[in-house]
Amino acid sequence: MKKIQTKGVKISSNKDYRDSIVDILKKMLQSKSVDAVLVPMRVPAKDSYAWILVKDEKLLTEADPAAPIMPIQGARALSSFSRKGQSMLKIAALMRPCEIRATIELSKLNQVNLENVTLISYDCPGALPMEDYLNDPEKGEKKFNDILKKLDFQNKSIKPVCKICDQFSLLPVSDLHFTLFHDQNNTMFLIANSNRGNLVLKEIGMEASHTVSAWANGIQEIKDKRAAQKKGRFTQIKKMVEGFNSLLATFSDCIGCHNCQSACPICYCRQCYFDSESVTSGTDLTMLKAKKRGSISLPQNRIMFQVGRMSHMSLSCVSCGLCTDACPVSIPVAEIFSYVAHNTQKQFSYSSGENKGEPIPLKTFKLEEVKGIQELVEDAEA
Amino acid sequence: MSTKIGIYICECGPNIADNINIDEVIERISSSEDYKNKQLIIKPYKLLCSNEGKEYLEKEIKDNELTHLVIAACSPRDHEITFINICKKTKLNPYLYKMVNIREQCAWMIPDKKKATEKAISYIKAAINRVLHQSVLIEKQLDSNPNVLVIGGGITGMETALSLASKQRRVYLVEKNSILGGNAQSFKNLLPRQENNTDLVAKKITAIQENENIEVFTDSKLENAVGFFGNFEVTVKSTKKDQTANEFVVGAIVLATGFALMPTEKLKKHAYGKDDNVYTALEIEQMMKAKGKIVLKSGKEPKSVGLIHCVGREDRGYCSRICCNYMLKIISYLKDQSDTILIKDFYKDLCLPHKYDQEYFDTMAKKKVDFIRISDITTKKTHITYTEVNGSKKEADLDMIILAPAMVPAEGTEELAELLNVPLHPTKFFQEAHSQLNPIGTSLEGIYIAGGCHGPQGISESVLQAKAVQGKIVTQLIPGEKIIPEVKVSEIIPDFCMGCQTCREVCCYGAITFDPERGICVVNEAICRGCGNCVGSCPSGAIRAKHFTTIQIHQEMKEAIS
Amino acid sequence: MSNSNNVLIIGAGIAGMQASLMLAKAGKKVVLVEKLPIIGGNTIKNEESFPNLECSTCMVAPVQQDVLQNDNIEVMTLSEVKAVNGQVGNFTVTINKKARYVSLTECIGCGACYEPCPVSLQNEWEENLGKKKAIYVPCDGSLPNVPAINSGHCLRLSGKKSCNACAEACMFGAINFSDKDEQVKIEVGAIIIATGFDLYGGKLLSAFGYGTLPNVYTSMEFERLYASNGPTSGELLLRKGKKLPDSVAIVHCIGRKELGYCSGVCCMYSFKYAHFIKDKLPEATVYNIYSDICVPNKSYQSFYNKIKDSNSTFIFQSAPDIVQIAGNNGKLQVKLTAGKGSKNSLNVDMVILSCALVPAKTSKELADILGIERDRKGFFQTRKGYIGTVQTSVDGIFTVGCAEGPKDIEDSVIQAESAVGEVFSLLG
Repeated sequence: MKKIQTKGVKISSNKDYRDSIVDILKKMLQSKSVDAVLVPMRVPAKDSYAWILVKDEKLLTEADPAAPIMPIQGARALSSFSRKGQSMLKIAALMRPCEIRATIELSKLNQVNLENVTLISYDCPGALPMEDYLNDPEKGEKKFNDILKKLDFQNKSIKPVCKICDQFSLLPVSDLHFTLFHDQNNTMFLIANSNRGNLVLKEIGMEASHTVSAWANGIQEIKDKRAAQKKGRFTQIKKMVEGFNSLLATFSDCIGCHNCQSACPICYCRQCYFDSESVTSGTDLTMLKAKKRGSISLPQNRIMFQVGRMSHMSLSCVSCGLCTDACPVSIPVAEIFSYVAHNTQKQFSYSSGENKGEPIPLKTFKLEEVKGIQELVEDAEA
Repeated sequence: MSTKIGIYICECGPNIADNINIDEVIERISSSEDYKNKQLIIKPYKLLCSNEGKEYLEKEIKDNELTHLVIAACSPRDHEITFINICKKTKLNPYLYKMVNIREQCAWMIPDKKKATEKAISYIKAAINRVLHQSVLIEKQLDSNPNVLVIGGGITGMETALSLASKQRRVYLVEKNSILGGNAQSFKNLLPRQENNTDLVAKKITAIQENENIEVFTDSKLENAVGFFGNFEVTVKSTKKDQTANEFVVGAIVLATGFALMPTEKLKKHAYGKDDNVYTALEIEQMMKAKGKIVLKSGKEPKSVGLIHCVGREDRGYCSRICCNYMLKIISYLKDQSDTILIKDFYKDLCLPHKYDQEYFDTMAKKKVDFIRISDITTKKTHITYTEVNGSKKEADLDMIILAPAMVPAEGTEELAELLNVPLHPTKFFQEAHSQLNPIGTSLEGIYIAGGCHGPQGISESVLQAKAVQGKIVTQLIPGEKIIPEVKVSEIIPDFCMGCQTCREVCCYGAITFDPERGICVVNEAICRGCGNCVGSCPSGAIRAKHFTTIQIHQEMKEAIS
Repeated sequence: MSNSNNVLIIGAGIAGMQASLMLAKAGKKVVLVEKLPIIGGNTIKNEESFPNLECSTCMVAPVQQDVLQNDNIEVMTLSEVKAVNGQVGNFTVTINKKARYVSLTECIGCGACYEPCPVSLQNEWEENLGKKKAIYVPCDGSLPNVPAINSGHCLRLSGKKSCNACAEACMFGAINFSDKDEQVKIEVGAIIIATGFDLYGGKLLSAFGYGTLPNVYTSMEFERLYASNGPTSGELLLRKGKKLPDSVAIVHCIGRKELGYCSGVCCMYSFKYAHFIKDKLPEATVYNIYSDICVPNKSYQSFYNKIKDSNSTFIFQSAPDIVQIAGNNGKLQVKLTAGKGSKNSLNVDMVILSCALVPAKTSKELADILGIERDRKGFFQTRKGYIGTVQTSVDGIFTVGCAEGPKDIEDSVIQAESAVGEVFSLLG
């Protein structure tokens, strides 16, 4: 059980939160605590954000921690260069909590090497749906700034899956954490949550000397509200996917583009199982199926892909919502997968991305743990 | 060479012919649309497994230059190997052959001839579909090293080494202590029934030292072992300051690391301190060997002694098998020492599984010993509180208490298991491959277990296990003979592997390794047993099971569902 | 001239078969002599074997097939060793091969000959719980799957009547009434005795009502009752009265006192029966009446714990001899001695007597033929003064498994493997 952090570094409250964070990142570069920083930056066309690995602190002024949208999962950005081994540079990655949790899951799957990586999280108010933002980026920026200013975590504009997220704040695996949800005095804190985090604070000459209990209480209140919302929403989601007919109805729009798989940080496979020879049928088998059933919907295996992807990754799903953003036919993939993931993880008493040392049950589960499937189904149906 | 499929349908006398319309089978398959572009030779024969039948088949394969073969006959259990052997006499690779059971699974269990015929046609077509997608698989022949590494220089290890060592087979004996001998050298008299020479151990040590085919490493441990049956590269390292390491290759490894007694200091039910007259059975044995008699801490002889069986049995979850016997031996030491010592022996159950054990007990029972069957017992120093099996609660104060603690695996067993990837039994002893069919092997071919590290047992059983290991090694690892590993193994397609190592973690044979340079996993075909666990675990479908690919299975199933 | 490459194994049970396969693999020529018409021994009589409760026939079938198809193993069924001369490295053995009357090469095991046979007999392999014909295999799944004819009861062979029913039913001409017993002589370098055990059949059985009270069973009878290929296809049908038992008492240690040894396996197989009973009849009550619990293997105690915790009621009796069984209006009254001498009793539908393992009845004769010593319990004696050996008093003759003394399958196989080791040490 990790010790709950009670102290943080008080950060000047005059500046905009983004500038405050960037200042700290600059300090980290200057003190050589890290060699490079991974942060989102607004693209030149000003209608999206990209992950930039920055060595030069001057370029950091363009950075935008807490971007309004999440076009690419931070974990994917990290794994794209650290899959094959330890990074030669010391890197600090400033990411949303769900991105950090995905990073932890990927490290368990040997797709990310966390040596020399400092994980920095911040209180995330959620992200806007990509579609909404892209329709009018300026409006989206304004909306998001508003959310941050007013600390409005019940805002209706954020992604549905963000509305039910109760893991939006400090994580057990965070090395450092920026509090964005200020207390009444508009104060922000930087909390060190690990030996690595403590080392960084030391190297940038800061000391965690202020109590953060007011913030912690505030966060807990929001978490409780979100948890209640999650429960309610899941009851509705259940109806969408319970039983074969509902599943069919919900996923019948799927065009099999595999965009959700491409966007998902957990789906690391170069070849998706559902594109492999094991699953793709030749003409003879396809015709056979058509003959037996009377008709066949083409291309095949679209729903099997969905259910199969659930079975492959739901133990690691962090409910980041990129899959819904990526879906061209607007299927609420994220909420559905979040619901399924919540229940499969519960079955094994596993919480994705929470604990570096805990292996993913997929590789280590024992028969006794799975015997309760019947009860689980009955529980879920209750 | 163009594809030519030979399909031979055995009539099996009237057995198949009577209940399946073979002419119809031949006609339907020959004229099937599915095979119109393929060359099919489909013929009946009265009894393929007869000598004439076998000659006929061999001729057919050769004359027709068949590229694939399907035999529709009885159960593969009966004759699959028969026809594989025929393929081996021809150029046809035995993995391009499939046998179909149309006797037990069609003719014998479907009374309706029409239905039986339909099913037979379906089965044969399924086999044809499958066989067309099967691949040539070639058996490999690997050189093997006949030498053996024995870890543990106690009685079991020494016995193993002496029975195996020869001019053609060198044995390396590794012992963590400075001297050989293990647990047995602490005992004054040996079971069974103290018939045997107490310098059994000394004789074995001399034999080892005089044997020029055995190399002994004392004060040493196994540092590393990489490889597989016939080819283990091992490193043995000295635990002394110089840390000299020796590397060599062996074909087999024997684990004979023995046992220890469960530590009793922390037991809640038997609280005692260093100065109390409470001893474990091993301490009494050592005392007997050193002093020749059993005395209290003060040096005086005890007037009353309590012996307590089954200490730790419940905690550990198993009976240690030899304690009832060795407690009788200790009683005999006491009785030899003095006829008037009051002896109370507290036991839950008598474990006397050997054919002479009961007699041994009956003899001791005549010697004025109080054998008390209990359901519960606790001791504090030398004060005993117990409940007899009939319910009465009693107490006793004795001069000395002797405990029989559970036997546990020796220190270092877990580390060794981890190092070699050998599984442990839930009781933490080594896990045998199969308790009845392969009791001294492990799931890793070429690694064997014997003696106290296998489970609680006495010297006699340990020596038998050592000889069983000898039996296994001399019949499986023959100097000069090649080893032919399993052919139907798994293979990983490098292009699709993302190095997540899920397969490596589910492989129970240690057959998969991770190549950090390429960032992918690799199957060692010499170790792989073809169980297919890895195939199911790969989320990319990057692993295929040779001879059991999804396409082959789909093609075969196609018939079943059409 | 030495025959060190040839080995004789007497008894084709699990120990004999395992030893033969190991020797054959290393190039030795093995003659495996078995008195029954089939191989497999006692293990194949179990539906499941402890501790893993693995299906015994499934476990042993691949071993049986390997033995029958192995080029280096010559299996002689319906055969017994009649004389042995010579010494280690050079034994000359005379073997009597009884006529099978059915060809092992022509018969394909179709079973068409059984139905027409007019003679019905008690099937002693099935503990006389079922019947067989004069032409028979002992049970479904027998290997070799080729029948033998009991010449004493066959109408034709015993001269009682001319009958040709089986030969007419056979489409392969596999039946040969002119088959004769024959005697063969072989030369071997070593001999391994793996003749197994018999079940205690002494006077204690009748004292417990066995033979007079129909629903008192021996352990082997219960094995066959539960077996899915047995006379009742696995239904626990009682011999008389009620169809299925509501309560069963399993009495341990039958024969232990009289014989003067514990057989080391009966506790475990008693627990196995308790498990079987609850498996088939979850509502049944099971009593285990015991004197000592003997669970000498690291894997056994956990099975005992399971049965103790959730299966049976355990009742301690200082010795089974003090238990009395009597008929009581269709049920069986089991009178027990409670603590302090008082009596109480159980009323059950079925009693299973967990009998001791005794030396096979052929032991004395075989010991005389081989010139080896037997111990004071009647088992074959291993060499005195040696620790951990399976060699008998005669060089080159070894004894393994229950022929040496009562033990479980694991220890039997370990001894068989050690005999292989000792054979190689001796003969090279």
